[in-house]
Amino acid sequence: MNGTDLTAVLPLLILTVAAVVVMVAVCIRRSHLLAVWLTLAGLAGAFVSLWTVATVAPIQVTPLLVIDGYALFYMGLIIAATFVTVILAYGYMEKQQAYREELYVLILTAALGSAVMVASNHFVSFFLGLEVLSVALYAMNAYLCNRKLPLEAGIKYLVLAAVSAAFLLFGMALIYAQLGTLQFGQIASMLIGGVSYDKTLIYPGLALMITGIGFKLAVVPFHMWTPDVYEGAPAPVAAFVATVSKGGMVALLLRYFYETGAYRLHSVFLVFSIIAIASMIAGNLLALLQNNVKRILAYSSIAHLGYMLVAFLAGGDRAAEAVTFYLVAYFVTTLGTFGVVSVLSNGERDADSMDDYEGLFWRRPILAGVFTLMLLSLAGIPLTAGFVGKFFLIAAGTSASLYGLIFTLVVTSVVGLFYYLRIIVAIYKTPAEVVTTVPAALPALSRSGNLALAGLTVLLVWIGVYPGPMLDVIQHAVSTLRIF
Amino acid sequence: MLHLLWLIPAFPLASFVVLATLGKRMPRKMVPVFGAGSIGLSAVVTSLVGFSFLTSPPPGNSFTQVLWTWIDVGGFRPDIAFYLDALSLVMVLVVTFVGFLIHFYSAEYMGEDEGYSRFFAYMNLFVASMCTLLLGANLLLLFLGWEGVGVCSYLLIGFWYRKPENGLAARKAFIVTRVGDTAMTLGLFLLFDKLGTLNIQDLMHQALVQWPVGSTLPVVAGLLLLGGAVGKSAQLPLQTWLPDAMAGPTPTSALIHAATMVTAGVYLIARTHVLFSIAPQAQLAVAIVGAATLILAGFSAITQSDIKRVLAYSTVSQIGYMFLALGVGAWSAAIFHFMTHAFFKALLFLGAGVIIESLHHEQDIFKMGGLRKEMPVAFWTFLAGACSLAGLPLITAGFYSKGLIIWDTWSSTRGSSVLWVAAVLGVLLTSLYTFRLIFLVFFGEMKTKVHKRPGFAMMMPCVVLAVLSVVGGFVDTPEFLGNIHSFSDFMHLALPPITERPLRGMTEIGSEALVTLVFLIGLGVSYLLFIKRRDLAEAITAPAIAKALHRFWYTDWGMDWLYERVFVRPIVWIARVDKSDFIDYIYSGIALITELLYHGVRRTENGRMRWYAAGIAAGSIIFLTIVLFL
Repeated sequence: MNGTDLTAVLPLLILTVAAVVVMVAVCIRRSHLLAVWLTLAGLAGAFVSLWTVATVAPIQVTPLLVIDGYALFYMGLIIAATFVTVILAYGYMEKQQAYREELYVLILTAALGSAVMVASNHFVSFFLGLEVLSVALYAMNAYLCNRKLPLEAGIKYLVLAAVSAAFLLFGMALIYAQLGTLQFGQIASMLIGGVSYDKTLIYPGLALMITGIGFKLAVVPFHMWTPDVYEGAPAPVAAFVATVSKGGMVALLLRYFYETGAYRLHSVFLVFSIIAIASMIAGNLLALLQNNVKRILAYSSIAHLGYMLVAFLAGGDRAAEAVTFYLVAYFVTTLGTFGVVSVLSNGERDADSMDDYEGLFWRRPILAGVFTLMLLSLAGIPLTAGFVGKFFLIAAGTSASLYGLIFTLVVTSVVGLFYYLRIIVAIYKTPAEVVTTVPAALPALSRSGNLALAGLTVLLVWIGVYPGPMLDVIQHAVSTLRIF
Repeated sequence: MLHLLWLIPAFPLASFVVLATLGKRMPRKMVPVFGAGSIGLSAVVTSLVGFSFLTSPPPGNSFTQVLWTWIDVGGFRPDIAFYLDALSLVMVLVVTFVGFLIHFYSAEYMGEDEGYSRFFAYMNLFVASMCTLLLGANLLLLFLGWEGVGVCSYLLIGFWYRKPENGLAARKAFIVTRVGDTAMTLGLFLLFDKLGTLNIQDLMHQALVQWPVGSTLPVVAGLLLLGGAVGKSAQLPLQTWLPDAMAGPTPTSALIHAATMVTAGVYLIARTHVLFSIAPQAQLAVAIVGAATLILAGFSAITQSDIKRVLAYSTVSQIGYMFLALGVGAWSAAIFHFMTHAFFKALLFLGAGVIIESLHHEQDIFKMGGLRKEMPVAFWTFLAGACSLAGLPLITAGFYSKGLIIWDTWSSTRGSSVLWVAAVLGVLLTSLYTFRLIFLVFFGEMKTKVHKRPGFAMMMPCVVLAVLSVVGGFVDTPEFLGNIHSFSDFMHLALPPITERPLRGMTEIGSEALVTLVFLIGLGVSYLLFIKRRDLAEAITAPAIAKALHRFWYTDWGMDWLYERVFVRPIVWIARVDKSDFIDYIYSGIALITELLYHGVRRTENGRMRWYAAGIAAGSIIFLTIVLFL
């Protein structure tokens, strides 16, 4: 490892150091504000360092990590999403009766794991990143351990993630046993390059890896944990699970299947098609008459990952762009929706029941407006980021003639509209006691949370109306992906 | 300087956002600062842009400012771009200047209203949309503005929403214009589909290259666009919404339903004049619609008793003149009349607002009278506007613009003597109803006491507009009266001049003299009936046939009655009869199946971890089977 290599992994180093610094700071003096500021500073530092790293990219650092434009873009995305999560968590944790500061150590560690995943082109770094992320998440889900639901969520996530990790490892082992390499590039040259190999080992290996990947992405049939965990986990943590954790895995999914060329194999295509169709249908159906907003968001995220897989299956540069763009839009909206939930939650319970949102407009018009926008974006209504994202997905799908998948996407989106509108209708319903409600009686919202929501709203509309700049950045980043 | 163009719609839009979000919290005094100030800034920017356009004309006498590309997919590439040429410059100038005066007036007129900031927010949004409509370089942006002004019109007609009839009027306006908009949307689709671009200038060029004169496609496209235009501009057969639209606050009537929005149809046709020039049949339809409207609305105006409804019918009639001008290819004459009409009609509405406000919200002209001495400033300004409307020869703007249209109707190759007769008959009607209004409101004995006098903010715009209504016409005069052509020359940078046919038996001076004569007849008859011999007026309307005719005209030729029976009732009837047909079962069936499916899949989420783990295992086994055996 020389100086250039160290520069290249600067963001990872900064995140690591930040986690240690926050931990030490907590030991010295418990101060919520201090911990948050240190965390934010670490994240900001890591984000800024991306520009320094860009000067040496693309570069392979040890056989494990590749730092290219693609990795840098996804790192930026993950760090930014973590930044927003921390801001939301600050306002949320202020209301809780618990030790608050350790959460940020966990968040930083999880972000580090996710950042390793997006830069990995080797099974070892793949698994290492995944486990760093997962282990931190076990604790984060159960962070409010004096409540019943978070504990349940933590245990469920722990057991099921361990099960799926076992599948993943076994799959990797099968592939290694046959090909004798753990490096994506070398796998590609053997898989596609005409070297003869035993399909009865490679194919099951790929299938078992899909189990592990599918679990993290929460797609059917590995999705069943999602609603329970989303419902149980504290709202900012749920936001983190939905964005950073899934985003890292999406980046890895694209890199792994595109760089090894495995996406060209017919059986892989078939498996992912089934997963995509099942996820779109099941996700949207499950959310239909659900009355818990966090569970609705969980089901909707299952459907959204299904949509993303449609473009993923299209293959090629355009597809990677479409998936990445959709992911950005999904990040913004998901953080926004969970942001609203966190802002409205109190020290006893999260604001996840439909009743919490009934007539929200008449109590908090601006917050209700933000929530409406976020939901419309999830539904894919024009002038929001979600619309442009979905547009690119469909464009990528049609260019590869995946009409069956596109058809499912469109039809299930219509079903999706129903439950988003259900929430919106509840928001604008006039409560009977609207006149008697005294605005002053409402609990104060955290200013930091409002700030984060305002930023997300601006971003949402900006990407929806003027997607050009974001698209340019993504095109530039994805072009560094070596697609076989 | 031309690069400031985007600021013209941006200022009102920004002010709309501020007023809509913070309007209720800001001090009342600040509301007009934003509301009227933003329009003032727009007007200043427009003047700067206009000055630069005149002093150093851009190449090709047009300037396009591309702000950004909205999306770019498969040949569909709408830019967010503004296009400035002589046509849009003149229209934007009028919209921002007259708009500013009306906003200024509203600061006082709406001063007591509880919806003060809401009013200004809507009005600002309107101006922003109107400027977008006029400046949009492609049909998509034009359509955005078109729908934007429609929404604002709806919101402002129903501004006092607590009265159900205002809501009904708003709905009527929205739905009737929607009929036209549907035709227009189809026209836009047709143009995009056949010519493959949305940029208006490219579109016109393509149309000229690809379509032979008189072929079917341009005629169909032209007629569909005309459908949109008659809806928005309240022309036959969709004019029924405008008189009811007077339910809105008077400044709204002045700005939206007289000076600017209702002329959007005129703009649309002028903007796509190339299309109409290769579709002579469609252009003839424009002329016929205009001629018929101006006469029918003129008759209706004579019988109205509500001051605002008289003016509303007069607006319909005057826009009929503009359509007539467009139909005979007198493009610049139409825009000239648009400009002068904006001045005098805005003035008349503002004047009417002054009168209504002073008389305890009395709108019936038969309960007014004798206001000449009571309110001299209001009288003189109103008189200036009315004379301009009726076309008092030599010294009013209306005389020159209307005279030009009438003369062009005669002299253009696309004109005809029938259209010309209709236009001259229109002058008689205009003169009749205008002076009827003047004599009833300002002369005779006083019937309602003046209880409050308007202040500076309300009278200043009236005075300015009165001056413009008089001198605004001197930019373009006939050959025998100075022969000034600066307005026409300027318009010819964007719109072609008329093609004259060989003249037979009539000269410009003869036409103008005849118009003057007809004007005087109208004035004389009015004087006779409403000042000298009131008993004569009653004698004329006494017989049963006259009463029936009066009623017929009063109800706008029974148009509402007819539509109610031909369209509304049958459709409501069908809807009621067909309420539970099988088609509904399909949809409710789908909903039911989806619901059942939900209850089915929900069972998989039972909260048991062992079941979840089993799911993961089962999924893996299925996929293993697939990859191994398929």
